[in-house]
Amino acid sequence: MSDDTLLDRLQRKADGRNIDPRAGILEGEGAQQRVKDPEPPKPGPEVLATVPSRSGPDSAEAPSYYGLPVLKEPLWIWSVPAYFYVGGVAGAASVLGAALEHLGGRGLERLAGRCHTVATAGDLVSAGLLIHDLGRPSRFLNMLRVFRPTSPMSMGSWVLAGSGAANTAALALRRRPGAWGSLGRAAGAVGAALGLPLAGYTAVLVSNTAVPLWQQVGRVLPLFFMASATASAGSLLSLFPHTDAEERVLRRFRVAGKVAEAFTREAVELEARRVVEVGRPLRGGAAGALWALSRTCSLAGLGVDVLPGRARWKQVMADTLSTVGAVAARFGIIQAGRVSARDPQATFQGQRQGLGAAQVEGNTEASDGRPLSFPLPVLGQGAPERAPRPDAPYARFMVTPPEPS
Amino acid sequence: MGSRKGFFTDTTLCIGCKACEVACKQWNQLPDDGFHFTGMSYDQTAHLGASTWRHVAFVERPAPLQGQTSGAGDFSWLMMSDVCKHCQRAACLEACPTGAIVRTEFDTVYVQPDVCNGCGYCVSACPFGVVDRREDDGRAWKCTLCYDRIGDDQTPACAKACPTASIQYGDLDELHARAESRVRALHGQGVTDAYLYGKDAESQPGTGGLNAFFLLLDKPEVYNLPPDPVAPTKKALRAWASVAAGAVGMVAVAVGAAVFGREGRG
Repeated sequence: MSDDTLLDRLQRKADGRNIDPRAGILEGEGAQQRVKDPEPPKPGPEVLATVPSRSGPDSAEAPSYYGLPVLKEPLWIWSVPAYFYVGGVAGAASVLGAALEHLGGRGLERLAGRCHTVATAGDLVSAGLLIHDLGRPSRFLNMLRVFRPTSPMSMGSWVLAGSGAANTAALALRRRPGAWGSLGRAAGAVGAALGLPLAGYTAVLVSNTAVPLWQQVGRVLPLFFMASATASAGSLLSLFPHTDAEERVLRRFRVAGKVAEAFTREAVELEARRVVEVGRPLRGGAAGALWALSRTCSLAGLGVDVLPGRARWKQVMADTLSTVGAVAARFGIIQAGRVSARDPQATFQGQRQGLGAAQVEGNTEASDGRPLSFPLPVLGQGAPERAPRPDAPYARFMVTPPEPS
Repeated sequence: MGSRKGFFTDTTLCIGCKACEVACKQWNQLPDDGFHFTGMSYDQTAHLGASTWRHVAFVERPAPLQGQTSGAGDFSWLMMSDVCKHCQRAACLEACPTGAIVRTEFDTVYVQPDVCNGCGYCVSACPFGVVDRREDDGRAWKCTLCYDRIGDDQTPACAKACPTASIQYGDLDELHARAESRVRALHGQGVTDAYLYGKDAESQPGTGGLNAFFLLLDKPEVYNLPPDPVAPTKKALRAWASVAAGAVGMVAVAVGAAVFGREGRG
């Protein structure tokens, strides 16, 4: 509208017929949404068997909103649990590689090199898997836009980027003579130092969410993931042909990992079971089946591993079982989280039984100003009297005269 | 710098007209949601999502409202216009790895669509299940508290459209005072069930208080609100401590395997 005269503009203001041309341009906050399909149908009761006011799966003590989930389901696709496995293997392999580099002597150099190769390949595959999961893969570099300690995903992005760079440098330079070689070996140590959190941060990532099951197992899941990473890295490295000397190292590494994995898995289960509704996904359905499969395969892998005898087929069988167990555990945890987020009572009962803010804040009252714990009377039907909270003018039962208007 | 802004949603005044839903969709030019029928009372929206930033919940409960008798017997409606809570300790903001989610000069929480890369972590982090990712768009979206309007000293679209002043927008201090006097008035009228949900850190320590808080008449669960929500980051320290413990164990195992597995050892 640059060729408007002042007269034109004045007339447009006054004649009441011309609309603002900008009103026809999509400028709203949500107008940038790229929409190909309408949203899928909402979850909810297919057909209510009763009138809405009398329906629902809940009791008066434990109500919900038509049984709808409170939380949004985690959006992670298959590539994220796959990354949990691959990233764990990469982290544990880089730790073993650095240990062999500095303490293993000449006889184990080939194994140290193999560890570095596995770690570097794992880092690269991990990055690919994570980028594949993004809603806007082209913007993956935004992950390194900020450094945010409150976000395990931000921390993990930096750890993965750093360990990938360090392991690649180590792989390329460690056999060179002179200063380059020293630099490569130092990079290997850096990769190993970053490999430790790489193997464990994924559990923090999972538990630092609102999903009741994941939040609940936050204290023990990192130990499980790191033990499992040790076991799966040892198993994968043992699947490659290797000498007796290398077998002595690998056997100690992987068996220690498998034993720790067996114990920490039970700890995760115990922690999840503290509230029935929270632990339920691990005991039934697809998630429960994956979790049971992971336990069976891992224990079988450990059992076959410690049986006497050194036959190659036995070794391959044990390592394959352990690998399947580790992968199934990752997929089982993710699937169980999805189920947990879908169940409103997992959120409600968990928080009512002290797994919400009460765990860290020590508050004894829910957000409605009443005690956390169940059973609660239906409101408005003779709830027991309690003293009102001081300095809270809206506490229940504090009768104050209405303000003069 | 603007002052701290927020919503006070008084559910006792809500008549379930959904003007807020419509106004929000129109102002923000949000796409339609497929016109699905849920069969849950008059609520066809079901929940907040990437293209639904206001949602009116219709609760039909088999109990009368306090101090009211109706021809319907043991029955009462509760309606609540739900919205992003703009928490003081915003789980989505703390989880966002790209810095796409920021706190604005109005103390609200805003997702920058030109930065978000759709990792979906905020979706899992939100204890209220508010923020969501639209699959064909690939980015996370939620209520902006009409960031584009309040910058021009206008009222957000939903509060502007609300015919009963159920949705009130303003400075947070002023809203707190208004909400407390409203609760006092209700208690004076015998509606002792009325309480404020998430007004401040004292009543909701897990989130540090909500910039969009509510006056409710029944348990939070009835409205699909969590009873004791917590920003997950508050529990992150123990998980990181476990990682540190696991790291010690991992180093011990690797060093042990390297040392004891060397040539000439058992």
